[in-house]
Amino acid sequence: MDPSALNSAEMQRLLNQEKEKAMVNEMLAKLTSECWDKCISSAPGSKFSSSESACLSNCAQRYMDMSLIIMKRFQSMH
Amino acid sequence: MDSFSSPSIGSGSSNMSTSDLMDQLKTQLAQAYAQEFLETVRGKCFDKCITKPSSSLSGSESSCISRCVDRYIEATGIVSRALFNAPH
Repeated sequence: MDPSALNSAEMQRLLNQEKEKAMVNEMLAKLTSECWDKCISSAPGSKFSSSESACLSNCAQRYMDMSLIIMKRFQSMH
Repeated sequence: MDSFSSPSIGSGSSNMSTSDLMDQLKTQLAQAYAQEFLETVRGKCFDKCITKPSSSLSGSESSCISRCVDRYIEATGIVSRALFNAPH
């Protein structure tokens, strides 16, 4: 058996790319789920109200702001 | 249920190129993402639309579910744009 394709540096690079994409995808899925719970209180209509879509957008951005604060705080504890 | 398991990776790798392996990986990843997405949508729409389960699905429950799927896909787009377009 010739495992060289699996072991090549090229393969490693491609796998790392897919790993990163998977992490981004997971962040997006988790954030959408959380922000849906926070922002969509009533049964879904045929479109979002402007406050609902603003809430979803704000939610994602505030989550990223929070993430930064947490990282900085954690780093300052060393 | 493991969306990643496949009998073809490993047993045929002696003849598969890097790009064949990557194609197979990407296909399986896409399938896994789709499964996960469906699972999430099922949970959310069940919560919002089927508040008091009865002996059959009413017309309003059915239309709620359709709208819910559309809205959740739309919500994914809104969150995605907020994450990747926001100037920080």
